[in-house]
Amino acid sequence: MKQGIVSRLMDEVTQAWTVAVKDIKVYYLKPGMIMFGFMMPFFMFFSFSVRREMAAAQGVARLLALTTFFTAASTGPFIIPLERRLGTYDRLLAAPMSLLSLLLGKIAVGAFFAIAVSIVALAVGVGVFGATVVSPGFLIAGVILGSFSFSTLGLIFGSIPTRNPGDVQMPSTLLRWGLLFISGVFVPLAEMGAMARALAYVSPLTYAQDLMNHAVLDRGLLNPWVDLMVLLLGCGVFLVPSLLMHRRSRRLGY
Amino acid sequence: MTNAIEVENLTKYYGNLLAVDHVDFQVEQGEVFGFLGPNGAGKTTTQRMLTTLLEPTEGRIRMLGHDLAQDPVPVKRKMGLVPEESNVYTELTAWENLMFTARLYLVEPGERRQRARDLLETFGLWGKRDVKVEDFSKGMRRRLSIAMAIIHRPTLLFLDEPTPGLDAQSTRTIRDLIRELNAEGTTIFLTTHQIEEANQLCDRVAIINHGRIAVIDTPEQLKAAFRKVQSVEVALEPDGQAHGESLKALPGVTHSVKMGDKWRLYTERPSGLLPEVMDYARAHDLEVVSLSTLGPSLEDVFLEITGQEIGAVRHETGESEDRKPGARGRRGGRR
Repeated sequence: MKQGIVSRLMDEVTQAWTVAVKDIKVYYLKPGMIMFGFMMPFFMFFSFSVRREMAAAQGVARLLALTTFFTAASTGPFIIPLERRLGTYDRLLAAPMSLLSLLLGKIAVGAFFAIAVSIVALAVGVGVFGATVVSPGFLIAGVILGSFSFSTLGLIFGSIPTRNPGDVQMPSTLLRWGLLFISGVFVPLAEMGAMARALAYVSPLTYAQDLMNHAVLDRGLLNPWVDLMVLLLGCGVFLVPSLLMHRRSRRLGY
Repeated sequence: MTNAIEVENLTKYYGNLLAVDHVDFQVEQGEVFGFLGPNGAGKTTTQRMLTTLLEPTEGRIRMLGHDLAQDPVPVKRKMGLVPEESNVYTELTAWENLMFTARLYLVEPGERRQRARDLLETFGLWGKRDVKVEDFSKGMRRRLSIAMAIIHRPTLLFLDEPTPGLDAQSTRTIRDLIRELNAEGTTIFLTTHQIEEANQLCDRVAIINHGRIAVIDTPEQLKAAFRKVQSVEVALEPDGQAHGESLKALPGVTHSVKMGDKWRLYTERPSGLLPEVMDYARAHDLEVVSLSTLGPSLEDVFLEITGQEIGAVRHETGESEDRKPGARGRRGGRR
């Protein structure tokens, strides 16, 4: 058996990756994942964009923010309660790995899914609507950081001590919809009043949307590096409630 | 002999409900330790605390020389868990399930394929290795679940109700495997309702009731302590079923239970009851199809300690009987 901190870290990374690959095989093609993770952001986009005058680039920036957000945040609330109900989550909790590694594996599942769906969205935007990307670097960084940050956000709901996915879906959907309307996705930040804008700054989606605006439209309200820092910070900050709720679950027996 | 598990003052509250009440016990390395108890007694709660899935409210668990609360990872590497429900991934094949578990337990790449093949062959699943588990029967899933639990060659294996609901062949395969693993040095912690299973497999059993350990001993020592639940079992023809009340009234019979086409008559003196039964048969012109004496079974001990009614346990052990109304528990089991 491997010894030492470095080899232990390598073991943990291997195990987190193993969990992620397993989840990708098991869950990516589940109807619930396709519905909430893949189709929902496109539905949302078309529902709020059809019959509105909007440049292709603006639409692509919006669609990218929507896909990273909705797709990444949908996996945690879908997978973990389902695994708790089926008893397979116990298999992971009993495995010789830290809780942090397990959660990082779960976060990666949502993030990879969101990145893949965002690539589809980008391909549609560029290929079908002829949009162009002004800052590919910000776009790539935004999609990756946004996907990980929102996947970590979704994990908070997946960490609620319950074996019933329905108990999790409702609050997570409420939060996602709520954030959607305060984050400058459908109403640009620049057009918001002072109170609404102050509220928008609380939402991590605001920074993802602003970063996509920088990357595709070459105009955003905030500094793009601030957007990136907030998304990066979100990856860490959103992990804390998940860790705490898992510890609570262990006390309660879920 | 060193202890694989040492439990001190283990306690679990769910809110105000006391599920496990200051329990102490040790499991020696290399033994098969049975953990018996009625529903709600605290068996699964205890096992979940031992396997790190549940945090104790109080108490200390040392396992394989490590304090479980301090750093559970080294212990988990040497621990295998077969939960009551076969928690396999039905969307994956048997091979993929085993490979996933092997990677999770850091089994070396060269070893994991050979080990998976050996286990699939042992459990009769090699021919189904590429079939998704959703098409497996309950017995096949159970076997796969056990294979997944031992792919990393654990030195301590937890089994929670490994055989209920399985066909006779699967049950025998799993029991034989438990014996083989134990012979190879694996310590087994067996949580079960199957009292006969515990009797056959376990070096020692603990009986837990209302969250407390009622007794820990070898099956034979436990049975020896409960000689008062000896019995005589008789089958009479013709119409032996109609003689239950009369048989119950024979001298020395404390109570009787119908066991299929037989009557089991409980007594403290089986040798004295045998001639009484023969006399009764002759007097009523009945043929004695079978007549045997039975010592106390582990099930008798369990019922005596837990105060359970026999119907509940008999159902769980897969036997059937028509319990006489009012026939209070503590009554026999086939040995």
